[in-house]
Amino acid sequence: MHRKSSIYANISGFFAIIFMGFPVYWMVTTSFKNRQDVLSTEPTILPRSFTIENYQNAFSREGFYTSLRNSLIVVLITVAISLFLATFASVAIARTKFTGKRSFISALLIVQMLPLSALIIPLFLLLTRLQLTNTIGGLALTYVAFILPFTIWTLRGFLANIPTDIEEAALVDGCTRVQAYRHVLLPLMAPGLVATAIFAFIQAWNEFLLAYIIMQSQENLTLPVWLAGFTTRTGTDWGPLMAASTVTAIPVVIFFSLIQKRIATGVTAGAVKG
Amino acid sequence: MSSATKFRLGPKKNLWPYLLITPALAVILLILGFPVFRLITLSFQQFGLAEIVSGIPTWVGFENFQALLKDPEFWTVLRRTFIFTFAMVAASIVIGAWLAHLMLRMNTILRWLLNTTLILVWAIPALVGISIWKWMFSFEFSIITSTINRLGFDFAQRNWFTNTFSGFSIIGGVVVWGAIPFITISIYAALTQVPKELLEAAAIDGANSRQIFRSVILPILLPIYVILISLSIIWDFQVFTQIWVLLDNRPASEYYTMAIYAFEKSFGLSEYGMGAAIALLMIFSLLGVTWFYIKKMVQIGDGNA
Repeated sequence: MHRKSSIYANISGFFAIIFMGFPVYWMVTTSFKNRQDVLSTEPTILPRSFTIENYQNAFSREGFYTSLRNSLIVVLITVAISLFLATFASVAIARTKFTGKRSFISALLIVQMLPLSALIIPLFLLLTRLQLTNTIGGLALTYVAFILPFTIWTLRGFLANIPTDIEEAALVDGCTRVQAYRHVLLPLMAPGLVATAIFAFIQAWNEFLLAYIIMQSQENLTLPVWLAGFTTRTGTDWGPLMAASTVTAIPVVIFFSLIQKRIATGVTAGAVKG
Repeated sequence: MSSATKFRLGPKKNLWPYLLITPALAVILLILGFPVFRLITLSFQQFGLAEIVSGIPTWVGFENFQALLKDPEFWTVLRRTFIFTFAMVAASIVIGAWLAHLMLRMNTILRWLLNTTLILVWAIPALVGISIWKWMFSFEFSIITSTINRLGFDFAQRNWFTNTFSGFSIIGGVVVWGAIPFITISIYAALTQVPKELLEAAAIDGANSRQIFRSVILPILLPIYVILISLSIIWDFQVFTQIWVLLDNRPASEYYTMAIYAFEKSFGLSEYGMGAAIALLMIFSLLGVTWFYIKKMVQIGDGNA
């Protein structure tokens, strides 16, 4: 499909890179500017100073390490549990027929489009009654439920692309069904599992609204909620905020670059290939 | 997979599939299913702080809905939400598709650079993106305002959010900026998967470029567009965090969209029943708009085994 490069496309592409990339550039350069440069009413595109004081400031700010730890714990629990449960469910959908399958799939899809801000009202009341608000467990459980439908659906997409002949051969050779799943299908699913795990990680790591409502006390914040707290009634500490933002983005950027080849196909493949 | 080669593990009627889906189903039913049920019952109740304490709700039938449908603010918010959603979906799909087609005709270095930039932007967590845009358009130290001033305009120090049009443009800007990478990369991936043989065959048969686009490329791209548009509608319709954080956790009522409106009614005014009614109407509007998409996806998933 690639055609000869055209001047029009190259020039437009150049401006697209500038416009799309500028916010990221501005975040990183701001994070390394000194206070005077950050708080200049005549900011310049190219930085005039270089310092790491914003990073020191952000790290020493109250709650950074606690919210980093909280985020890591919640995300790891979420990814582990949702992947474990999703593997079973996706095998059921992709490899078996059962009464109610259509309803199950419909439920998975409809649930994914329920607006979070709509569900949060009864969810909050439910968690309050279960005394799970303001607990890591409560937040992780909620994340698992929200991420599961998506993980099941994505894994189903990967499974749909694994031919069934190999399991069939294993069964003919005398494997039990469990053995066929564990020793034949599971290794083949590995790349899909890794990609899905990273998807789940990113979603949980970035989530704001649920954490904002469920985790109220200062020692229970996650990183995004902590970040949103930089703006107080007295103003915003822009330098340290940009430093903290950069730090929050780094793990996601690393993970993303690992799976970027699978992303484009991964998301739509589940839908197109059947 | 054609249905002839389909293969099942085990006989048709057994417990296997149910054992496999039960744990996942249980979590989903508890954390998502029950709240949906509760949302429905809640919308028929008067449920405020008093009811939370006593635990005894007052059933009011359709009163919440009647009050809403009579309230002009509800209709204003609904219309605003639809317009805002439409603008964001249109902008992200048009720009995304345009960039994807451009990428086919760029030179290799620029294409690689653009691809890398897109992946980078895609990877930026939503809240980080919001913080950056908030910083770029801040009142005192905005790089955007000062650049505009340097070009000879006189915006002085400008609060971009006093005017709702410029305010919504910035909110939409954050959303569209964050959405473009996924859309561009998906369409580009689909474009590069169009089989060369098909294009060549069409060209040999004497098809011109418009005919090739209509009869060869479009049928391959169409399903991708349907998915991308549906997903964009689902995501953009419920935009919450962008508005909430850009407006310092207390958006003025001119900035209410359905999501913010439901949230404010519930957590701001403690009228949980009313909030639930708004949320329910929001879900129905969304399901109505994306009905086609859901039907299609269910067919694909069901025909798979």
